[in-house]
Amino acid sequence: MSGAINAGIKINKTLVALIVAGYAVVPFALGANNYIMSMIVAALVIGGVALSWALLGNLGGMVSFGHSAFFGVGAYVSALVTVKLGVPVLLALPLGGVGAVLASIVMMPVLRLRGPYFALAILAYAHIFRILATEWSSVTGGSGGVSGIPGFPTVFGFDFGTKMGAYLIALTLVLVFAFAYARIRASYYGIALRAMHDSEDATRVVGVNSTVLKAAMLMVSAFMAGVFGALNAHYINFLEPDYAFNALWVTLPVVAAIFGGYRTISGPVIGALVVYMADQLVFKALMPTGHQLVLGVLLVMMIVFSPSGLMPLLKKWTARHA
Amino acid sequence: MLELENVSVRFGGLTAVNDVSLKIGSHDVIGLVGSNGAGKTTLFNAISGLVRPSTGRIRFDGRDILRAPMYLRARLGIGRTFQVPQPMHELTVRENLLVAQRFGTGRVDHKKIDDILAFTSLADKANRHAATELALTELKALEVAKALATDPQLLLLDEVLAGLETSGKRRFMGMLRELHTRFGVGIVMIEHDIETITALCPRVAVLNFGQLIADGTPDAVFRDPAVIKSYTGADHADT
Amino acid sequence: MTELILQALYSGLLQGGSYALIALGLALVFGTMKVINLAHGELVLLAAYVAYAVESGLGLGSGFGPIFAIPIALVVVCIAAVSVYFVVSRIKIDREINSLILTYGIGVILTNLILLVWHADVRSTNSTWLQEAFVVGPFYSMRSELIFFGVSVALMGALWWWLARSWYGRAVRAVSSNRDAAELMGIDPGRTELVSFIVAGVLAAFAGVALFSYGVIQPAYGGALTVKAFIITVLAGVGSIPGVLLGAVLLGVAEALTVTLASSALQELAGMTLFLLVLFVMPNGLFGAARRRG
Repeated sequence: MSGAINAGIKINKTLVALIVAGYAVVPFALGANNYIMSMIVAALVIGGVALSWALLGNLGGMVSFGHSAFFGVGAYVSALVTVKLGVPVLLALPLGGVGAVLASIVMMPVLRLRGPYFALAILAYAHIFRILATEWSSVTGGSGGVSGIPGFPTVFGFDFGTKMGAYLIALTLVLVFAFAYARIRASYYGIALRAMHDSEDATRVVGVNSTVLKAAMLMVSAFMAGVFGALNAHYINFLEPDYAFNALWVTLPVVAAIFGGYRTISGPVIGALVVYMADQLVFKALMPTGHQLVLGVLLVMMIVFSPSGLMPLLKKWTARHA
Repeated sequence: MLELENVSVRFGGLTAVNDVSLKIGSHDVIGLVGSNGAGKTTLFNAISGLVRPSTGRIRFDGRDILRAPMYLRARLGIGRTFQVPQPMHELTVRENLLVAQRFGTGRVDHKKIDDILAFTSLADKANRHAATELALTELKALEVAKALATDPQLLLLDEVLAGLETSGKRRFMGMLRELHTRFGVGIVMIEHDIETITALCPRVAVLNFGQLIADGTPDAVFRDPAVIKSYTGADHADT
Repeated sequence: MTELILQALYSGLLQGGSYALIALGLALVFGTMKVINLAHGELVLLAAYVAYAVESGLGLGSGFGPIFAIPIALVVVCIAAVSVYFVVSRIKIDREINSLILTYGIGVILTNLILLVWHADVRSTNSTWLQEAFVVGPFYSMRSELIFFGVSVALMGALWWWLARSWYGRAVRAVSSNRDAAELMGIDPGRTELVSFIVAGVLAAFAGVALFSYGVIQPAYGGALTVKAFIITVLAGVGSIPGVLLGAVLLGVAEALTVTLASSALQELAGMTLFLLVLFVMPNGLFGAARRRG
């Protein structure tokens, strides 16, 4: 009985070990290698977006192909408030998230659409935000983009503007969001959300305001993706519409989430690390242009052969042969 | 407690509920009868918020709930079961009740949940998954339990006994008999069996083609020529 | 000013023909398989690039290049469509969600294949004959626009007849409205789904060649096409070919007006605005029956 509502996290030894390794081991072991560190940071960003995508799917019951919109809006809002309004970077990150939430509010009318229609509507929104960013040049700098975006500041003597700094911030954000995801999932809201997938009317008849709950999940998902977009903007210090709203910010997180097992919380993040590394180290080497092709093939094969992800399949396989 | 005033529900050319006016008090246990297609379930749908009446007013505890969404009506105190059970499939029995209670009343009271589980004979099935591990009798019991968990003032029971075999029926009738006294809730129940209705309900309302044609004690209602005609098409009963 | 607007209406009307073909293909497959093929726009784009390949293969200035490309485009796109069908039909669980992700992945594959083979440059036809101005009354259009509008209307008429009169067409309608009942009556739903994919492929092929003949194409355009087709289905509501044509024309006109009165960069916004308007004001679409609740 007490298991139903608790912190919602299985605090087991593996998890603790991983977290310790993340903060204590990785920086010292790999910190000097800029190349690897930059890949890990990028992978964590993808992982964060993948996590937000999986949250929307699992809790909200909505499959979205438009998370690039939240990512891009978050990036632009954060970049612009720092560049044009002088807002401190660490404050700008959550502001980017808020910007993404506002973008999601614009998407609310499509919440009532059924699965495929919702997915397409979100896809349409993603296109539109990209066009807005390109055309609204007075605000966004148009297709030239925004340059000179400030990096992370020095806090308590530690310069977060380095790759190491970005890594630590990204890692922390991933953990914070994963924790939040787990809390929501374990709460009564999480149970109601689970029920809403198949039996939305049944939940409404007992007092669940299902529309508000779904909207809330969209906003949470948007916030997460927006914050990571913002982080990325201050990490690479430059933004342009085709980059910020690129379809890659949809494809990579989706592939990552499905690869790692999108029904779990750790799956999308670990999936991101694996898939992104593979993409950068292997696919890009094989096919400099159109390396996304391999991602597409991977996605297709995963859905056909193992929709719950390749990692869960791997776990089952190793368990059987152990 | 609940006042229906000239409520009509039209679907395109079809008038499912036609100008129904009805007052239901918190001490009422009312049977709602009528042949198939008479509009009984539609009336329930209008009261619980699944459909919006085309004309008329609905007042609950004095406030106009015509535009209130379904979930709000549940929180205000209107509970409802479906003829074909609609549990929250992905959850266990207990989780069904927890969600209903948490969102229908705003609080969680585990003792009350256990009470309801015992009352509906679901205590030993509390951890079974609603979608896959329950028989029809249990699903129907869950429907009632779920509605009770929202702490309703008015309970709308839509053919709770339909499809049950004799022993299940007997058990449910015992449960229905106690519902009003045990939980202090007003009840409107749709059933087809006249004996059941007569045994359980001191008041009966009859719908025919969407119209309310009788409202009174079972004795009076079932002797009403209009009612008899609606059932048999003849002018007087043979029994 | 009025001439500009009237000209925009005319251009939008002609453009609507091809848009309607794209939307119909999407709707057909959704009707039988209850699956939205997110790669549909890419199939259309594939046909457009085939037309480009044929034209450049035949040499510059070749007047009829794209026209000759039609049979080849038909073959290529139908093979692609059938392949998509076979992959999609392999999904058994959670079909709605998984097929979305799957066709999205296929779209990514197709887009990047096109990128690999034909590179990122923007392309359009070199055929002077097709691009030649053709005047009807006070209205100007490219010859290709007019030709392909006629082709689109003819195809839609043929589709209408096919759905109403032919056995396979009736099967498609039956499976679309009630799959189990259709199966009980002896219709093979699998084969019917395959047929709907092929027909969608045919429509897409013509639309793609048309697109190449009077417009510009680039590899990233596939997604935008799928979105346009989707917007048209929302405009049209469920279940009517005339509705789709009208919705497509409406979109074409809205885009043309935006280009004329505002700027060509805002063209995509026109469709989006229409889409949001309809969603808010007329959730059942302009011409359709009751839409499913979300």
